[in-house]
Amino acid sequence: MPSKMLQYAYYPGCVAQGACHELYLSTAALTQALGIELLELKKAACCGSGTYKEDSQLLEDSVNARNIALAESQNLPLLTHCSTCQGVIGHVDERLKDYQRTHPAYIEQINGLLEQESCLSYGGSTSVTHLLWVLIGDYGIEALQERVTRQLSELKCAAFYGCYLLRAQKSLPYDDPFHPESMENVFRAVGATPVYYRGRTQCCGWPIASYAPTQSFTMAGTHIQEAIEADADCMVTPCPLCHLNLDSRQPEAEKVIERQLGLPVLHLPQLVALALGVKPDKLGLDQHVVSTQPVLEKLGVR
Amino acid sequence: MQVLFKVIRQKQNTAPSVQTYPLDVDPENTVLQGLNRIKWELDGSLAFRKNCRNTICGSCAMRINGRSALACKEKVKNELMNELAISAAKLPEITVAPMGNMPVIKDLVVDMSRFWEHLEAVEPYVSTQARAVPEREFLQTPEQRSRLNQSGNCIMCGACYSECNAREVNPDFVGPHALAKAQRMVEDSRDTDTEARLEEYNKGTQGVWGCTRCYLCNAVCPMGVEPMDRIGEVKQQILERKDAQDSRPVRHRKVFIDLVKQGGWLDERKFALLVVSNTLRDLRGLVSLAPLGLRMLASGKFPLRFEPSQGTKEVRSLIEAVQRQNSQTSDK
Ligand code: SF4
Ligand code: SF4
Ligand code: FES
Repeated sequence: MPSKMLQYAYYPGCVAQGACHELYLSTAALTQALGIELLELKKAACCGSGTYKEDSQLLEDSVNARNIALAESQNLPLLTHCSTCQGVIGHVDERLKDYQRTHPAYIEQINGLLEQESCLSYGGSTSVTHLLWVLIGDYGIEALQERVTRQLSELKCAAFYGCYLLRAQKSLPYDDPFHPESMENVFRAVGATPVYYRGRTQCCGWPIASYAPTQSFTMAGTHIQEAIEADADCMVTPCPLCHLNLDSRQPEAEKVIERQLGLPVLHLPQLVALALGVKPDKLGLDQHVVSTQPVLEKLGVR
Repeated sequence: MQVLFKVIRQKQNTAPSVQTYPLDVDPENTVLQGLNRIKWELDGSLAFRKNCRNTICGSCAMRINGRSALACKEKVKNELMNELAISAAKLPEITVAPMGNMPVIKDLVVDMSRFWEHLEAVEPYVSTQARAVPEREFLQTPEQRSRLNQSGNCIMCGACYSECNAREVNPDFVGPHALAKAQRMVEDSRDTDTEARLEEYNKGTQGVWGCTRCYLCNAVCPMGVEPMDRIGEVKQQILERKDAQDSRPVRHRKVFIDLVKQGGWLDERKFALLVVSNTLRDLRGLVSLAPLGLRMLASGKFPLRFEPSQGTKEVRSLIEAVQRQNSQTSDK
């Protein structure tokens, strides 16, 4: 275990407070089990999931500079548990840090707006990190391994990373964006077996689901089917938006690709918490569209 | 050093097979140099495209170790760093395969007809009217020219199109290369067809709204075009001109920002309802949501409450301030 208590300014994001409440629950349960302290950013706002930027770059930068400034004022790194939030806020942070040197006038413009609307200004003094990176980096994969009380040896897990976690930031702390291993390393640490398939680094289709459902669900359905063919017992994702398309919309995906699927999709903290012996009812495993019961049965947990 | 080149070979209408070629190469060599030596010294039947050897012509795009790239740009040594499973016992490997989203003609040579047709579909020429020769040349300010820099660097190699997730499920989607070119046309101060172009690029999901923001084009483009960001710039131009009644993709964006202004976070229940059903106007949209709503209720997923952010007031005034600034600069 890390010698110092790990603390983060926790950015919950929209989806974990809405349709994926089980993610909110399981992040809380996991961090509690590991002794990681979270200070929730109650005043934060939606990162825009890439949509603000289509309106204007300034909008994406200002709202997220404000989010980062909230974490800066606590002197803590900002913690996300969503690939999309991480990609968006993490990229804004790396770009603004760069602009502090190369385009100071732009930083002044943003801070001018923030101050004028009585928000904290952006200083570039903290970092933005995802729960996955905290597990493998800050906490440490070996330390995590030592805490496992329930080896998930029976389980074959197919990672689904989410585009923004791999490709939105210019530099990634632990992964090659085309051949990531951090999810798989977590699987191995909890005793599970990683399943490799093409879809693990591809798009789930969520961004176009509201207006191009057939295309969107073809993407989701194809990836799920590939994971099943690779013999996965479940998918595991660090992104609640992917979860929406892969789990909540799985019945639509089945219709579109004309195949029965029925593959449970777990959130990353749900999987890890199960290995630490946390009870399933603390993890909202009953709040999925595709039943997670087969996973629990395989593990002999109830 | 000894390297094993694994090449995915294929003839038209037959299944692909893997052929391996052990080669003694200088790690500083490019992958293309390796392929050339295979062709010249080991197997003259291996087919691939190449020309400039210098990342200029765009001929040599192929999938190298799982992602589309220029064979004349990537060095053997970097490919081996990427390769995870190097063990002392076996030779380090480089896997080379044809690009995706295009049918294979032979080995690494793919049929790019659709790629070129899709480029043609965005009318990639500065409009005719403007081409009527003026008395002197067209002048552009450095600022006007700089908006064309990134898309102007495209060498039409096809790497982005090869990886594009939207193109994979939507054969009508014109693809990142074409839409990056579209941005170049829209932003070109000499072009007189901007409004008609935007109408065209706004249509259905063949244009900008077909993009699913997978970021793969940005990640693989060897020339730093960042097509996804260029597509975003075309979307900005469209969003500036359209209101929420225009289409679902436009409504998706407008409603999104409005709801954040109302609650700091996005209220997904309202979002789904407002985007899909256009406030009850589109009954079919509304009915299409019912099964999802019921399913989510049954599984305990349907959010019954929405808690606004404690910073909602600040966020709303910040967004409004940004919107004011943006409309001032676009009026100028
Ligand atoms: S945008 Fe980049 S990847 Fe796509 S064709 Fe042009 S140079 Fe190649
Ligand atoms: S970001 Fe859009 S255009 Fe680029 S590869 Fe992905 S879907 Fe295609
Ligand atoms: S041979 Fe011309 S770009 Fe590679």
